Amino acid sequence: MTEKVGIVGIGHAKFGKRTDVTLRELAHEAVTPALVDAEINVKDIDASVIGVTSEEFAAQVSPAILVHDYVGIGNKPVFRVEAACATGSAAVRAGWSLVKSGLADVVLVVGVETMTHLGTPEATEVIARAGDTRWEYPFGATFPSYYALMAIAHMHKYGTTREQLSMVSVKNHMYGAMNPYAHIQKTITLEETMKSAMICHPLNLYDCCLISDGAAAVILASEEKAKRFSDTPVWLVGLGAASDTMMISERENLTELKATKTAAERAYRMAGITSSDVDVAVVHDCFTIAEIMAYEDLGFCKKGEGGKFIEEKQSYIGGKTPINVDGGLKSKGHPLGATGVSMTVEITKQLRDEAGKRQVKGAEIGLSHNVGEAGQYCFVHVYSR
Amino acid sequence: MILGYVSCLPETKLMAKFVEELKNERLMGTRCRKCGAKYLPPRAHCKCGSADVEWFEASRQGKILTYTSVGFPPQSMSKHKSYIVAIAELQDGSKLLAQLTGVSLKMLRVGMPVQVVSRPVSTDKIVYELKPMDVMEI
Repeated sequence: MTEKVGIVGIGHAKFGKRTDVTLRELAHEAVTPALVDAEINVKDIDASVIGVTSEEFAAQVSPAILVHDYVGIGNKPVFRVEAACATGSAAVRAGWSLVKSGLADVVLVVGVETMTHLGTPEATEVIARAGDTRWEYPFGATFPSYYALMAIAHMHKYGTTREQLSMVSVKNHMYGAMNPYAHIQKTITLEETMKSAMICHPLNLYDCCLISDGAAAVILASEEKAKRFSDTPVWLVGLGAASDTMMISERENLTELKATKTAAERAYRMAGITSSDVDVAVVHDCFTIAEIMAYEDLGFCKKGEGGKFIEEKQSYIGGKTPINVDGGLKSKGHPLGATGVSMTVEITKQLRDEAGKRQVKGAEIGLSHNVGEAGQYCFVHVYSR
Repeated sequence: MILGYVSCLPETKLMAKFVEELKNERLMGTRCRKCGAKYLPPRAHCKCGSADVEWFEASRQGKILTYTSVGFPPQSMSKHKSYIVAIAELQDGSKLLAQLTGVSLKMLRVGMPVQVVSRPVSTDKIVYELKPMDVMEI
């Protein structure tokens, strides 16, 4: 059995409104560069894991084989993984398990989602039904509303301000403008974000991530194969996952995501590190308040000081822990199933020193944090060079 | 009658009882006879694994824990322009997410005393709502 599991290939499709391609073509756009990057042939893949969140968005029941067959892997094993907005990271975790167990030596993990063919009210509806369909959805609760409930609780308890929420958005758009794969490559000012339309008080338009189409792919390999394929494998050294109550109203504390705290503890323990060892991180900023809570729940700052952390620019390159320097979900986009795999792509780039203008110099340990729904699922991965 | 402004689930025995009591302004939860855990909203099964649960009447008074105003409703709620959603903590410790009426967003505060009331929204749908307590009732 392999000691370590390495990332030997990464590929990323352009995120955005991609009505020029179908789901499988979009996946192909990410898989091809991943194979080129790993310098392997598709026939070297032993199995694939496909992350697609919603069949309603895919307009296809059981879409995994559609992707697997299209990219030409042939009659190898394939299955789909789903964990709402954390589907991509769940797929990476499943791929890691296949390699670690010895069931496969080389696994292709693909995350893909096509969302923009539905209008915003329809897309909001599909996502709202990821909430508790008996006790919360029937009252008009939406995903922006769940995070807005947490934002008000956080502002009330810790004095987090509206300006601090907007500062997260300004940062992520600044870095997103440097990412050629990002959905919106445009910087914004604090004033623009503060003045944008209210979506769910206190969250306005620029506090909310984008509805996007997109795909990302990574190739995972056993230690032996990884060393053979790649001169610069990045190792997945810590995997932590956790869950929380289905109903938001049942949560003990609305100013944190308990699943993040637990998943992070597990990932740090497995990797043998602490939060201060992390050189670069991508966190789940589906809403700006989510990034502020992630700073705290992952241990990058004390509880309640997330607002101050962004205000002091500690999450910029040059700060204590650079976070979402790929633009985050906010500017890069959030094609549900693709997001977690895209996070793995970004951290791999950073640890290989291939992130260009967005490079965190000398980064050796990276972290990705992917939340499903409003904290019902959470996956934290730790990576090392 | 079905619970909710919108619904996509079938009516069950548990829900029929809950809704029947709600019509009479009684908010019912369930309690596990085995481990004593209390649930509001009610559950047919306890998280301890037991299916031996009994009904109890929950408190209808509490306070606002947090709130929001939904400005962009999902398609199923498109006839509602905007509405306030809040989570209240009731006097017996249980928590409930519901819409809040009778107070403007501007006047709303964390900690505000509220009560749970029931309201039919059409011939086949009923909801519970949060309303500010009348000054006399506090």
